[in-house]
Amino acid sequence: MSAGKFSVGRYHRHARMAAVLAALVLLAGWQCEVSLSDLSKGIVKGLAMLSLFFPPDWKAFPEMVRPALVTILICAVATPIGTAFSIFFGVAGARNLAPPWLRLTSRTLIAIERGLPEIVILLLLVAAFGLGPMAGVMALAIGSIGMLGKLVGDAIEEVDPRIMDSVAAVGATRLQVIRHAVLPEVLPSLVANSIFRFEVNIRASVLLGAVGAGGIGYELNAAMNQLEYSRATVAALTSLALVFLSERASDYLRSRVGLGEALK
Amino acid sequence: MLDVRNLTKRLPDGRPLLNGLSFRIEKGEFVALLGASGAGKSLTMRAIVGLTSVSEGEVVFTGETGKIYRTTSIRRQDLRRARRNIGFIFQGCNLVRRLTVLDNVMIGRLGRIHPLRSWLYGFTDQEAREAMEALDRVGMAGFAARITASLSGGEMQRVAIARAIFQRPLFYLADEPIAALDPKNAEIIMRLLQPLARENPILGAFHQPEAVTRFCTRVIALRKGCIIYDGPPRLSADDLSAIYAEPSSETAVRPSLAASA
Repeated sequence: MSAGKFSVGRYHRHARMAAVLAALVLLAGWQCEVSLSDLSKGIVKGLAMLSLFFPPDWKAFPEMVRPALVTILICAVATPIGTAFSIFFGVAGARNLAPPWLRLTSRTLIAIERGLPEIVILLLLVAAFGLGPMAGVMALAIGSIGMLGKLVGDAIEEVDPRIMDSVAAVGATRLQVIRHAVLPEVLPSLVANSIFRFEVNIRASVLLGAVGAGGIGYELNAAMNQLEYSRATVAALTSLALVFLSERASDYLRSRVGLGEALK
Repeated sequence: MLDVRNLTKRLPDGRPLLNGLSFRIEKGEFVALLGASGAGKSLTMRAIVGLTSVSEGEVVFTGETGKIYRTTSIRRQDLRRARRNIGFIFQGCNLVRRLTVLDNVMIGRLGRIHPLRSWLYGFTDQEAREAMEALDRVGMAGFAARITASLSGGEMQRVAIARAIFQRPLFYLADEPIAALDPKNAEIIMRLLQPLARENPILGAFHQPEAVTRFCTRVIALRKGCIIYDGPPRLSADDLSAIYAEPSSETAVRPSLAASA
């Protein structure tokens, strides 16, 4: 039978697979106590709740400015720290610079960091540093290393070996080759990536704030807990504006970094 | 001045890539290495500067004070001292693309300054002035502040030469400096290299026998890792066909292909 022709057997096979999949989904839903009646009740209740959130209590807005700034500051401190460490992990994790054992160690560490969500890192750090912005800064910095370290390492491995040879050939030491050939080649992409990471960190820090790292997320959570829903709306809108603005700023800044590229 | 003795490089299976090369290069010479692709030209130069380890043989040269340098030495510090006296002119595309032209020229001095200084505050004004002089010599002073990636191939090649001049080496190696260039730019590069060779000898790999005849003082021809000609740059048609002849049948069939046939 040629591949293009309709096959009854194949049709039945697909139908059987779909039936099995549907049965599994239903079973899982039953196990998790998902029910349609709860859904409909929840929607009605949710719509009734919604009226509590509106209109927003704009008088609370001035009190949101400071927490919003704290959120920005947490990210403004955490991102550069994460970037600086990611250079170290990137160099140690690059095949063309580091011996195999060092590369494996560095790559494993940053893979673990990537595997742990910031919120898990935060919960671990809260045990050591207590609640507050310090734990948030540390959690975001460590989270940034996971992503940026991998990107730096990969970028370094892409550097043309002949460029590094041409610098080594004048008698430069390994560290000089890194400083004068490798870093200049990877720095523009690192700057662009860490600006993007700043944007990701703003979003993550809203969530971390709710867990106790301070900032706008903390205000949002506090307002919810005190049942001040119209105040919570203001906090939510403020964090939305923060995320939106950081995204615009990040796009703009990264396009400026790209200018060096355009000269090519 | 530069003394290459019995330079040999073998693959792990024992097949030779360089087979006992020996030659001396004296002051004032502009020596061309000719040979088909894979004959061992680049490998010879990489071995001379110590970027490739060799199985046997020695590379020795003497400085003006009579100091002796070896790049085949195993000690890292010796290698660094020797390398800073060799001006390796790479193909221009091997410059650090994201640095400015001037920064690329300054790299020529890295072997002479303390690593800590180059990490922390870079180069002195005096060094910058000398780097500008080197750029001026290759006609690129006006490009000093440009990002290297924005230059043309011929311009990059001139910057690569400026880096080697700024290095103040005892001799130059030039790995196919005109291979990727159009005839006009190739001419410019050869006219820069010729007077340079009178001050400090140049050993360069080339693929252009007619340019070599016009500009060089001597030719060393390689074939399958052996020297098959060493003499004046006027090559007869027979010499050329011997250098660039098709590989004979026993090497044309690669072992891997022979095994599967």
